[in-house]
Amino acid sequence: MGCLAAGGLSGPDKKTFIAKQQVQVICREQRQPGCFCSLFYCCTMKQHPAMLIEWRGSGEIRENNSRRGMVHVWWSNIVSYIPDWPVFVQAGATLLIPVVLYFTHRWFRSVVTNGGGSSEKLTAATEESDSLLTGDYDADLDSIKQAIGSNDDLHFREYRVAELGIRAALIYIDGMQEDQLIDTQVMQVLMGKGDFVPEVELESSLPPADRLAAYFRQRILPVVEMEEVQGTQCLHEMVLTGYTALLVEGMPSAILVGKPRGKTRSITEPTSEALLRGPRLGFTEALSENTSMLRRQGRTELMEIKKYTVGNTLKRDLAVVYMKSIVNPDLLQEVEKRVAKIDLDFIAESGYVEQLIEDDILSPFQQAQNTERPDRVINALMAGRVALLLDGTPFALIVPVTFSMLLQSPEDYYERWMAGSLLRLLRFFAAFMSLMIPSLYISFISFHPGLIPTELAITIIETRERVPFPSLIEILVLEVSIEILREAGVRLPKPIGSAMGIVGGLIIGEAAVQAGIVSPFLVIVVSVTAIASFSIPMYSAGITLRMLRFVGMFFAAALGILGTILFFLLICSHLTKLKSFGVPYITPVSPIRLHDWKDLFVRAPLTLMKLRPEMMKTERKRRKA
Amino acid sequence: MRNHRMLMLLLVVGLMVTQTGCWSSKEIEDLSMYIGLALDDGKPTPTEQKLDKQGQGYPKRNLITATVQIVPVKTGSNNQHEKGAGKGDGFLNESETGDSLLQVMRQYSLRRERAVIGHHLKVIIISTELIQKQSIDKLMDFVLRDNDIRPSCITLLSRGMARDTLVAGHSGEIPAFKLQAMPRGHFRTGKIMRGVNLTRLDSLIGSKQSFILQEVATSGGEAEFSGAGIIKGDTGKYIGSLDQTDVQSIAWIRGDIQGGVIKSYDWHDEPMTYEVEGMKSKIIPRLEGDQLSFQVKIESEGRMIENWDVEEDPSKAEFLKRAEKVFEDTLLQMLEHLLVKLQSKHKVDVSGFGKQLSVDHPQYWKKVKDRWDEVFSQTPVTFDVKFTITDYGSSKK
Repeated sequence: MGCLAAGGLSGPDKKTFIAKQQVQVICREQRQPGCFCSLFYCCTMKQHPAMLIEWRGSGEIRENNSRRGMVHVWWSNIVSYIPDWPVFVQAGATLLIPVVLYFTHRWFRSVVTNGGGSSEKLTAATEESDSLLTGDYDADLDSIKQAIGSNDDLHFREYRVAELGIRAALIYIDGMQEDQLIDTQVMQVLMGKGDFVPEVELESSLPPADRLAAYFRQRILPVVEMEEVQGTQCLHEMVLTGYTALLVEGMPSAILVGKPRGKTRSITEPTSEALLRGPRLGFTEALSENTSMLRRQGRTELMEIKKYTVGNTLKRDLAVVYMKSIVNPDLLQEVEKRVAKIDLDFIAESGYVEQLIEDDILSPFQQAQNTERPDRVINALMAGRVALLLDGTPFALIVPVTFSMLLQSPEDYYERWMAGSLLRLLRFFAAFMSLMIPSLYISFISFHPGLIPTELAITIIETRERVPFPSLIEILVLEVSIEILREAGVRLPKPIGSAMGIVGGLIIGEAAVQAGIVSPFLVIVVSVTAIASFSIPMYSAGITLRMLRFVGMFFAAALGILGTILFFLLICSHLTKLKSFGVPYITPVSPIRLHDWKDLFVRAPLTLMKLRPEMMKTERKRRKA
Repeated sequence: MRNHRMLMLLLVVGLMVTQTGCWSSKEIEDLSMYIGLALDDGKPTPTEQKLDKQGQGYPKRNLITATVQIVPVKTGSNNQHEKGAGKGDGFLNESETGDSLLQVMRQYSLRRERAVIGHHLKVIIISTELIQKQSIDKLMDFVLRDNDIRPSCITLLSRGMARDTLVAGHSGEIPAFKLQAMPRGHFRTGKIMRGVNLTRLDSLIGSKQSFILQEVATSGGEAEFSGAGIIKGDTGKYIGSLDQTDVQSIAWIRGDIQGGVIKSYDWHDEPMTYEVEGMKSKIIPRLEGDQLSFQVKIESEGRMIENWDVEEDPSKAEFLKRAEKVFEDTLLQMLEHLLVKLQSKHKVDVSGFGKQLSVDHPQYWKKVKDRWDEVFSQTPVTFDVKFTITDYGSSKK
């Protein structure tokens, strides 16, 4: 560039310039790096300014020079744009960062997903050969006693069936049998003589052993719930879980006559998902009650419930619930496949199931929705999702889950659509706030004071004068104490919990300001954040955002608003990549499905929502007749 | 073993991240902001002179004295004894003399423990004394270049010393905020111009045409808008002032009156007042051959809001018609007075005639652009004013 400018100087009108000025002009040009041509001009000018003017005056020499110089100009221009070696080193180092991150991540993922070892299920080893009952009364009884007789709460009640003249035994666990039922329907019937009227032709000849069980079932015992068991191991398990087994002489199987009585609690309002409007019905710990609750939601032949047994040592029932001709068969197949793969000695809660069947174990976001509300489950089923209910927990799982579900509440649909949409928008806004406000605070306070309105900036400076910490430490102090407070509040009994909330929230906040540890403005920031995070309807989604908030704070502390934006983009790109059972996590947004936007930020009137969600690819698309 | 190596690598990466710390972070409490900037002719203040005597100073020419208004003042210690101007009012005025505005700004760091930042600069006041010597584009060069300073910052001129306008008034508020907020009164009276922010100032300077800036007068710490100063386009220097009425007249020509009054005296020499409800104006350039002339059409609707003449009945149509005529004459007088001032005294166009000409006759404008002020001084301008009194308020008296 310098050469061209210098060359331009030789025009006839510029010739009148005095030499000194030209030297100055060209010396300034010289600062362009690597431009040899201008350097040449410059040297000449400095030494013989007068000569140069003369030399320029003669056109021929100038033309010659410029032709020869063309290559120089072209080459030196290119050279001037090639950076020095430190730039290349820096570029290489910068390139190394994503590469290293990628490989670290891949390694870490492989470690986590494989669980550190091979995950082949040892099905053959664990399933012992299940020996069958022989039909020899004494031998069977002995073998049972040997296997499980060491339990002191196991009772054997041996007696004679009066009319048939054969021996029988009731085997049960103390406290789990239904006394009333056993006494009246089993013992009385078998031992009593008065009301037991055997049919004449059968009295003399006892049916053969293989038909004995059927005979008992059909003719003798007036009990509804009855099951025949032939394997010994199965029998042991059933007895120990509380069934009452009837062993009869000469019968190569046992009859389970009484279901376990175990106490269940009454149905209460779901505590984690309380609503003002909507059914006050929550799941309980008993699977049968939960499935019956779902059945009672409405009469349909579409709902199907399939049961699986999970847990290797302690076995539990897991019910997969879906709507037969609505759910996408591929999805159902995938769910069943993953459920079958579950391999752990004990599944304590549906959270175990969630973690064992999820797509990405390294994602901070949940990939199954947990809920205590039957109405929520039934709505999800009608949208073509699949529900998983585990025995022993009131929390059902809904898969697949999308991000918008976490911020929706059943109330959005129960209230009229305008109010519902407003509340939903409010929740999206609150979620954003609870995630980003602390990061924005840090970036504004520590990096971009120009972005704060002047009057506010003055107030903040004045209040922060006495605070000895940078904003990151300051906000960490308060955020961590709020989190501790919240954690402590969960543990404490209710009356103390609320008292401690007041003590913690008001007194500690006020005192921290007085002591000059934090600024009053920060107290507002932290409380707004906390309140915003309370408005998220899903507890587990709330925890995720709480956790990510801290990550965001560190990003902001390192790079200011740039870091905050970077953090947000990172979350966005992760969410875009994430899938839950093959359904993209933020699907109505990306990949874009405009039909589903009716039920995303706003909740369209019910009359407009004629189709099921497009993202679920349901079999039956229309919701209206 | 491989896992341990990876762990070490992770550790190293993690440590490196922490080593970066908070990149370029500047905690807000370690900063203070200058919200007002006053530029005066370069005469070192007494404090500065004393300081210079003790120290060595640095090589400079005393061309400008820049005074910045810094907020907030550190209130950590108990400041019982107040010293220096402005201290104890929540702000601090600091003056420094030199010839480069940025260098002067950085010199403040020699005196203050907290760095000053320019993001929140609200108002720039230039004394007319300074701008007679230095052209406005030199003075504003740094301000327009600087990335920190926001374009919303407004520019004012001051009759006296510019730094006097930054001294606290009786109300106890911060002067820079007050000066920034004052142009908002534009909707009450045409005597206040719309605030000229930096974006607009940049275009005004760039157009090389003359323009006016609001002037502030101060007395005893009380600042008042008192007309406008004319900046000549080609030199960028101050050439004279217009009074409040002239500023209002310019607003009438430009059609920039949002609210205001016209007061005149009726045939019994009693005051009566017209409240402007709405107005429209149109400048029509006429070009016949090489003869240029302007016609300005002004139409306005308003209300008879005050009438001291008890003998007249405002509900009568003929009275209102007569009153309209009186008000029209008053405005015409104001406009003629302005025109004489512009064309004969200052020989500049600051009321938007040139702009309208450039829209209607761009070819002709190109020819006269460079000497427009002279051309304008020779151009006849006629006014055509039409007032309509729509009502006389709630009282018939």
